[in-house]
Amino acid sequence: MPGRFVVALRSPVPIAVELQAVSYTYPGRRASALEGVSLVVNKGERLGILGPNGGGKSTLLKVILGLLTPSSGVVRVFGQHPAGARAKGLIGYVPQRGEIEIGFPLSVREGVLLGASWQTPAWRGVSAPVRARVEELLALVGALEFAEQPIGRLSGGQLQRAMIARALAGGPEILILDEPAVGIDAAGQGQFADLLAGVHARLGITMVIVSHDIRAIAAGCDRVACLSRSLHFHAAPAGLTPQVLAEVFAHDVAGLTASGPLAGMHIHAHGAGEACPAGGHGHGHGHNQPGGKA
Amino acid sequence: MNLVDYLREPALAWPLVYRPLLVGAGLVLMSGTLSVLVVLKRLGFVGQGVSHSAFGGIGFAALAGVASSAWLGLRPVEGGLFELGIVLAFCIACALLMAEVSDRRTIRIDTAIGVLLVGAMALGGLLVDASRQWAGAIGQPATGRSWESVLFGSVQVVGDQDVLVAWASALLVLGTLWFVRRPMLFWALDEPAAEAFGVPVRRVRGVLMVLLALAVVVSMKLAGVVPATALLVLPGAIALQCSARLWRVLGISMLVGVGGLVASMALALQLNLQPGPCLVLVLTVGFFVAWRVRGGNDQA
Repeated sequence: MPGRFVVALRSPVPIAVELQAVSYTYPGRRASALEGVSLVVNKGERLGILGPNGGGKSTLLKVILGLLTPSSGVVRVFGQHPAGARAKGLIGYVPQRGEIEIGFPLSVREGVLLGASWQTPAWRGVSAPVRARVEELLALVGALEFAEQPIGRLSGGQLQRAMIARALAGGPEILILDEPAVGIDAAGQGQFADLLAGVHARLGITMVIVSHDIRAIAAGCDRVACLSRSLHFHAAPAGLTPQVLAEVFAHDVAGLTASGPLAGMHIHAHGAGEACPAGGHGHGHGHNQPGGKA
Repeated sequence: MNLVDYLREPALAWPLVYRPLLVGAGLVLMSGTLSVLVVLKRLGFVGQGVSHSAFGGIGFAALAGVASSAWLGLRPVEGGLFELGIVLAFCIACALLMAEVSDRRTIRIDTAIGVLLVGAMALGGLLVDASRQWAGAIGQPATGRSWESVLFGSVQVVGDQDVLVAWASALLVLGTLWFVRRPMLFWALDEPAAEAFGVPVRRVRGVLMVLLALAVVVSMKLAGVVPATALLVLPGAIALQCSARLWRVLGISMLVGVGGLVASMALALQLNLQPGPCLVLVLTVGFFVAWRVRGGNDQA
């Protein structure tokens, strides 16, 4: 297939996620939530996707997870339809800080185990290797000391560790984190960045971190992309201070650009009638370092 | 006559003590287990909704009763498995519709229940009325009395067949829950994450709604509407205050249910009261005792 050759030529690194000109409009709405989004995430890379609330981040995540089918465009996760990749357990998902019932009668260990065992047939027990893997992951994320606590009674940071372990329990190839910074204080965010770095160093897993908070992304990503109808770097949303921006720029920003084919790693979304904010304005100069090593 | 007299008299002990206890135990095990999920997923009002939408099913059953005598020449049957089947099918449909309508984020489950509850009751009223007119027109005795037996059944007047009905439904519910326990728990724990992991959340929720409808209709028929809805909330609400370990919670909710059943039967026989309200009150008192013992709403 010619398409595959093009992809192979464009990037020597295996591709984890690829979006080609993906648009999505919610049923009954006129304005599109995503428009012409093209994006490539290389295997082993850590990509941050930054955008304000309502900028289409959740929609993009749902498209990558296969929960929404794009109105137009193509989505591939490890070369497959996203729903297929999800069914094979290739995608690990860390939800936005959830609402776990405070008295939910499961321990952290049992909750993490569910991430791997929910597909195990009822008549079969969970195998010893899966249990061993869960123990390893609990140790990796630093959750062993509270593994026997009820999962509904954790602090924000503890719950997040548990969620990451649960997402990794099924042995995925890519980890997707939805707004991981919500409900975590500044000190906790530093620890969280260390945690993600540790997980990445140990497992070498591809990561996509989606957030409206640049601090959550700046610390641990190889590349940052910006997704919004309205986000220009010069029209800085709350939290995007000049210092932080400088920090992000130091990390290499592949920001909003017109849907040029530049290394295929541009996210571009804005309202249909709105002028494209990109095309230079001091951001997104496409300093991509192929291979995803910052 | 008091409790000891009933137990001493073999001719009374089985129909008035042991048989109701056996039926009640089946209902309590079934609903007690479900109640844990009901409390965790905040579905407390589903019991109310489903039990009241039974009116619609009763309307259809009344109509079908007249139709069967008008067209097939059958003798109209009061109550029985025929009516139970129609009511059950109607309630399952209502329960699934409640879940389906509230699936969209714009309509919440309490709204869906409120709408379907009144709709089904109104439909039931009209259908019972229509069936009476039809019965009158063809010179049949009206069958519309049986809705009372469905709504206000009593565990004291259950027959041997009801022991079978209660335990067959209990085994069906417990077996199904065991079979789907892992995806069901994942869904109950964290619905958005479960969906992203690929858990078929719609199907899992549908299974739970069907089981809830089954439990409500069967317990309503055998024990009355108030005990039926109470059993879907109280055992779980009590057990979840006592422990945060799944198997312990399930065990406690069953023990609490069975204990409450035995205590309320003893109370009812001793003081010549209705056992259904006794059971509900005993469990309600148990709930407040558990709440007080745990220290009110102060959470660790």
